[in-house]
Formats: sequence, C-alpha cells, structure tokens
Amino acid sequence: MIDRSHFMNIDWILVSLLLLNSAIGVVAIYSSSLYLPENYCLKQIIWITISLVLLFIFLSIDYNILAIYSLFLYVLCIVLLGSVLIFGNLIAGTRSWFRLFFFQIQPSEITKIAVILVLSHIFSKSKRSNLSWKLGSISSVIVFIPVVLISFQPDLGTALSFILIFLGAIILTGINRKALILLLIFALVLGFAGWNFFLKDYQKSRLITLVSSNKDPLGSGYHVLQSKIAIGSGGFSGKGYLKGTQSQLRFLPARHTDFIFSVIGEEFGFIGVVLAVLAFFFFVYRLFNSVMSSKDRAGVYIIFMVSMMITCQFFVNILMTIGLFPITGIPLPLFSYGGSSLLTNYLAVSLVLNVKMRRFVNL
Amino acid sequence: MKNGRIYEDLSLILGRTHKTFNVFVILFIVLLFCFWKIQIIDHGKYWEKAEANRVREIVLPAQRGLITTRNNEMLANNIASFKVSIIRENCKNIDESLKKICQLLNIKISVLRERINRYESLPAFVPIIVKDNLSRKEVSVVESRRLEFPELIIQAEPKRYYPYGIFASHVIGYLQEPSLKDIKMDIYREMRPGDLVGKTGIEKEYEAKLKGKEGRLIEIVDSLGKKKDEISRLEPLKGQNIMLTLDFDLQKKAEELLEGNEGSIVILDQRTGEILALASYPSFDPNKFINRFTPKEWIDLINNPKFPLENRAIRGLYSPGSIFKLVIASAALDSDIITDRTLFFCSGKIVIYGHPFSCWFKPGHGNMDLYSGIKHSCNIYFYQLGKRLGIENISVYARMLGYGMKTGIDLSGEKDGLVPDPAWKERVRNKPWYPGETISVSIGQGPLLATPLQVACHTAIIANRGRKITPHLLMSDNFISQEREGSEWVPDKMFVKIKKSVFEKVIKGMWKAVNENGTARAARIDGYDICGKTGSTQTISKKTSEKLEKEVKTHSWFTGFAPRSDPKVVITVLVEYGGHGGATAAPIANKLFDLYRKKYD
Repeated sequence: MIDRSHFMNIDWILVSLLLLNSAIGVVAIYSSSLYLPENYCLKQIIWITISLVLLFIFLSIDYNILAIYSLFLYVLCIVLLGSVLIFGNLIAGTRSWFRLFFFQIQPSEITKIAVILVLSHIFSKSKRSNLSWKLGSISSVIVFIPVVLISFQPDLGTALSFILIFLGAIILTGINRKALILLLIFALVLGFAGWNFFLKDYQKSRLITLVSSNKDPLGSGYHVLQSKIAIGSGGFSGKGYLKGTQSQLRFLPARHTDFIFSVIGEEFGFIGVVLAVLAFFFFVYRLFNSVMSSKDRAGVYIIFMVSMMITCQFFVNILMTIGLFPITGIPLPLFSYGGSSLLTNYLAVSLVLNVKMRRFVNL
Repeated sequence: MKNGRIYEDLSLILGRTHKTFNVFVILFIVLLFCFWKIQIIDHGKYWEKAEANRVREIVLPAQRGLITTRNNEMLANNIASFKVSIIRENCKNIDESLKKICQLLNIKISVLRERINRYESLPAFVPIIVKDNLSRKEVSVVESRRLEFPELIIQAEPKRYYPYGIFASHVIGYLQEPSLKDIKMDIYREMRPGDLVGKTGIEKEYEAKLKGKEGRLIEIVDSLGKKKDEISRLEPLKGQNIMLTLDFDLQKKAEELLEGNEGSIVILDQRTGEILALASYPSFDPNKFINRFTPKEWIDLINNPKFPLENRAIRGLYSPGSIFKLVIASAALDSDIITDRTLFFCSGKIVIYGHPFSCWFKPGHGNMDLYSGIKHSCNIYFYQLGKRLGIENISVYARMLGYGMKTGIDLSGEKDGLVPDPAWKERVRNKPWYPGETISVSIGQGPLLATPLQVACHTAIIANRGRKITPHLLMSDNFISQEREGSEWVPDKMFVKIKKSVFEKVIKGMWKAVNENGTARAARIDGYDICGKTGSTQTISKKTSEKLEKEVKTHSWFTGFAPRSDPKVVITVLVEYGGHGGATAAPIANKLFDLYRKKYD
C-alpha cells in the first residue's frame, strides 16, 4: 500500500498553507489568551503537532480503502455521539465532550470525516447529472442521524456544518427543480418545528439579534456588538499586537475561540484582515484546485466536500463576527483554539492530500 | 445538460467545482468590502465605542465649604459617606440585575426603576446612583459580592452634615438633588444628575462659593469594571468656607423662646445690617432628608399644616398692626400735619366717614399727644392722623420706611409685602378706594402686609435716624447686595428724606412705651434704654369672631432697639396667635435684649 513515491507526490504547498494559517491562529491565540489562566497558545501548538502527525499517518491508508470501510467508522461515530449524550461532560450547557487525559474530545467533529467518506463512497457510484431519489433519501438519512444527535447536545453550529457538507455533495451531484422545492419545503417544516419545539431561548434570541444587534446592547446582541467594536476600532492598521483594548480588557467574549478573527481585526487592522483573508483564500484555492488532480469520482467528492466544509465554516464564522450571521458557535477553521476542530480539519486536509498523491493510476 | 444524462468522465463534477469556487471568490471579495466598511468607513464610530468601553471617568467630589456662625460655631460640615451606583452597560440583563440589586440593598423596585428611567438619556457607562448614605454593613455586603454584581460600584463621597440639626435650619437651608428642570437653569449648568445642590437658604444663595470645583479621574477599566490603569487625575478644589453674621447664643435663645408657637424673630445690628439671629418656628432637621431619595420625613414636612419648611422671617406675610403707627407718626410729623404737642381726644369711640371706629382701650385714653399716643398705642389718635394724611401720603412714607419691597437680604424667596393705595386696589381688586380703609391702614390693618424682616429693617431706619441698611447673613466688611429680581432697596448707607428731628420724636414715644409703663413695658430692662413698639393684629374681623362665638387670638408683635441714643441692636418678634403684643412678644424681646446686653455691652 504505502509507497515512497506517494510521499514524493504530497502537495507540500497545501501543507505549507495549512501550517501558515495555523500559525496565524497561534499568533492571535497568544494575544487573546494573554490574561487567561490557561496557556492556550502552547496547547494549540501541541494540538497542531499531534494533528500533523495524525495527518501523515492517516495518509498511509488509501482513501478508496477508507471509503469502503467508512460505514464502520460512521456507525462507530454514531455510537460515540449517542453515548456522549449520556456520559459526556456538561460544558457551558452542552453535552458534547469526552474527557481524555488532559484534553477534551468532541466526537461530533470526527464524525464529519466519517460522513464525508460515507457520502463520497455512495455518491461516487452515481454518474448521472443529477440526484436520484434513492440516492437522495439514503444520503439524507446518513446526514440526518448525526445532525439530530448533535442538535440534542445542543450544538447547532456543528450540526450546521453537516448540512454544509451535505449541501456540497448535492451541489456536485446536481439536483432537479422538483427535488429542490421538496427539499426547501422540508427545510421550512424542519425550521418551523425547530423554532417552536427545539431551539432554546438563547438560540432564538441570537437569531433575533442578528436582525437588530444595536437594540439590546447588553442582551444577546452584546457579543456581536463587542466584536464589531473590536474590529471597527482597529481601523486601517490596527491597535498593535497585544494592544487591543477590546480583547486585552476582556470586552470581547470567546476571543480565543469563536471570536479569534475579531482579535486579528482589532490588533492588526484592515491590513491584517486582508492578509489573513488572503492566506486563507490561497489555502481554499489550493483545496478546490485539488479536484483536478483526482483520478476518480470518489476523490473529487472527497476534495469538494472537504473544501466546502472548511470554506463555509470560514464564512459562517467571519460573518458572525461582523454581525451578518447568527452566533452559532462555529469556530474559525485553523485559526480558532480547539483541538477537536483542528484535528478534524487536519484529517480533512489529509484526505485531500491522500487523493492528490494517489492520482497516478497504475504507479 | 439533459436531465439524467450519464457522465462517464469527471468533466461535469469538475465543472461544478469550478463554478462553486467562483462563487466563493466573489464572497471573499464581498467579505473584504464588509471589513472595509466597518474598519475604514465606520472606524470613528467604533473607536469611540471602544474608548467608552475602556475609559471610565470618575468625578472626584469637592468638599463643600463649611458654614459657621460669627462665633466660629460649626453649622454645616461634611462627613464621610458611601454611595452605590449602577453602570447599566455592565449588566448582562438589566431587568434581572435591578431585581437582584433591590433584594440586596432592600430598595423598592418601582423606586429604582423610576430612577433608572429618569436618567435613561445619560451617556453610556455613566453610573447612576442606586442608594446613598450606605451603612457599613451595606458597603461590605456589596463589596463581598463584587463578582456577582460587576455592574455596581461603591464610591465614597462627602456628605453634608448639620451638627446642630434644627438650629437655624431656615437660614442654612438644605441640599437636594436638582430636578431635571433645575439642571437646565444657568446656575446649575455644570451639574449632573445625582449631584446635590443647595435648595434653599445660604446653601442655595452661596451655592457657587460653597460647592468648589470637582475633580476628575480618568482610568482604564476591563469588562468587569476593574481598574487597570490611570490616565489622568485632576484633584478637586474645596469649596469656600462661609462665615455667617449669626450669633450662636442669640439664635439659640430666639429659637428656644419661640418653641411651641409659630412665629419668627429677627435680631440685627442696624449699624451694619448684620443679622444676629433669624429664627422661624416650627423648624426642621435637614439631616433627616439629605439624600437622593424621598424619605417619609420629607413627605411629612411638606404636608405639615404648620409649614415648618417656610422661613416665616422672610416669607411670612402679616399685618403690621400697631407697629405701623410709627410710619403714621413719622409721616404726620414730617408733613407738618401735627407737632408733637398736637392733642386729640380719645373717648374710646369715634365715628369717621359715617363708620364707628373704636380704640382698643374701651374707656378711652383722654387727651393724647404724640408721645402718649405712641406709648399707649391709642387708635383714635392715629385715626385722626391717618384721616388727615390720606392714603397716598401714607403709602409714600410707608415705602420710604421699608414697607412693600424686598429688603435685599442674601436669601432667596423673600416676599415683597404689600402697601396698598388706590391705584393698587383699582388694579388688583377692580374697586375704588374707600376712605374708611385709610382709617384701617392708619393702625396697620387692612390689606397692609409685611414680613418680620421688613419690620426689623423698618425699625433699623428709625434707630439709625433715617439711614437705610441692607440686612445680610454673609460676614463681610463691605457687603453689597446681589442684584435680585424685584429688589428696589436703595444701596446701603443712604438716608431717607425725612427730617432727623422726626425720628427723635418717634423714638421718644417708643422709649416711653417701654419705660414709662406703656404697652411695651414688658420689654423693659433696668438701666438699659430700650425703645419699642408692640402690635396686635386681628387675624379675622370682629364680625367673624362674634359669629364663631369665641375669641381668636391676635398675632403678637414687638419691634424695638437699644440703647436709645447709640443703638446697636434691633429686635423684632412675631408670635402667631400670641395675643397682645405686650403680653407675648414684648417679654420675649426682653429676654433677648437681656442676653444681648450681657454678651455685647
């Protein structure tokens, strides 16, 4: 299976971009956690190292083999998701973590990899220009189960990521108008039911806040307003590294996780924002561009879903920091502090590298 | 692209990937435009908000100036006190926060909410005072729960304290929070809601001097309101101390003598206008309601039917009664209608203009000249003078001698009093002047009204043989009355246009009233030349009194000065419903003259 020539074909540029973006994240985490009791910066570096090692180990297994066994992985993840609801640690009102030695593990993150693999395995068999009913329903069920389980934690942000992955698969497969309308109606019914029976009050108010963030500066709009103040007050060139008043004086909430980009905006200003967005753009470009190096349909699906997942999370998070998207708790990929999400993204990128390095059919 | 078409190669999905990526490229560009808008175009707005977050301005209160008597007795000083304020922006949920604070500090939620609403328009992060005059226990309760209540801050502030409580409270006045209407006024321009300002008395009159200049401290705080650094500090400037002309012992004695009655006493040094005592009873203890909330004591004071908050000395309007006979006597002498030897016969009754008028002494005084007229306060004698003078003349002399206009004392809210004349009656009551009214006015009844302070100033002119003074409370070598709306009082040390000999004659009558067994004999002190005049003013007409079938007592007046040749002090006493002037007011004056003499002679 493993071959030295495969390693010769690793996309080192993609790996470099991955590490570059992670490094920007580390720099921002350092500033944002300067006065926090825990050394989040060091922990993040350890996580990056672990993730990088796992990324390379993961590379050694052919993605086609991974796809074949993906169903087992998927079932395992569902079991984990189920048990975390029962045995998990309650942190910040949600039950989505397992304590593992010194770190906490979020099974919902790893489930993303499983879902990507399962979907790519199923969809790669379809050669039609649009989605068949059978395929559509099977894939819906596959996505629906973890989404429901995760929503019970409740962790709407992560649940949303699965929808984004699914959306990626649907876009690629193509969908006819009838099915699209049906899907929209389904989403509407689900949304209505969710609003009335499912969403917690704080989640509802977050959605309402999105429409009017200035009306209630101390209520749910507080986080968004403080984030906007941080970014806006950064101006063109920023307040200087470690000198952001919003973050250093703790007005900015969750600044080392969900609102890490606000710290960049405040301390490095518009210039810093442009550079960070550019760095991420090149990374995303490299990801999407990788589909050209896929030898088969499954590879294209994998790369596309991974790219969709990472890019959409990026937008959801950043639009949240400037108040254009509700606060869902989706971290900024590679930038935000958080081991599980980092590892998941690294493994996702590993899948892309995996596809790319095995592009030559009969080597 | 036909529906359901089979693609063997990857061209379709590669193409779709490409399109999707292009959409993201557009999104990336849009995203950067969003940041351009927030960081470049709206930068100023957000910068200000960040500064408001980070910087806290704390006002360092200035020590208010002290108020003392001329004997250096402390009347108003400052003691340490604590207040707790809320910073609304630090509340997670303002409603819940208010509820919890009310429980913590035992405040009524409606009161607190009303207060927060009142100051809603204040800029963000400006603390609103929730409770002041905190007890030691309350301070420690709030301090120990700092983490639970990041929105509360405790600040020390000097609190006004009046060591003698009710002593001279009408003169000193008290502090209260300015109403929102007050804040718009010019003198309060630098005021902020929550500041306490002088509402009456000296506290109001000399607010500008007393308040000093507050300092400012600008510090950097974190989101929990914890201080991180200090940017600048401007120390507060103490307010000026004020020494009053009040004499502690005289004021104290005056208040004691009034106790149990409603009334007023004014003692002044008629050479300078310095007021030695200005008492008004009933009184109040300002310590009981100096805070920013409205305690029960305050409500009680406002609703008290005896109006303890009113300063009767400058705001109480009374008929001067027989005291006004001094004006009539001066006017008649000065206009040469009579000499001091002109005699009028008092039979106890007289009919003038077809109306019967009587003397207070039913059997009649017999033949009366000026001295015996004043000494016995004979009504018939003064009816004759008043009839001959006419109301126009009387009103001119009354104004000249201090009636009908503000005295110019350095206290706000002084009343004008009233000197009636035909023009006034035409204007106000829309009726012609009846000659019979002139007869009433000549013994100080009728529409005539004066404050005790006006009567004291009037007496001062007589004692000074015609020289006017401005009564004042501020100790100052050269007191100049501030320009005051409605004050027509001629500048200090001016002489009124009445012959000096007139005053000597009137004073002789006053001396006899006290020393030769006249109506004011109760004021007499052996070896001390006191001159005085009593007054007893009807509070209701005789007819009404008969209808009620009971005797309603008259207001009791005494005004006088001593010693006769070289006067040093004027004392005016008014006791509401005190009966005859000689019976109630004069004995009070006697005790005060006695005290003055022991202390200053």
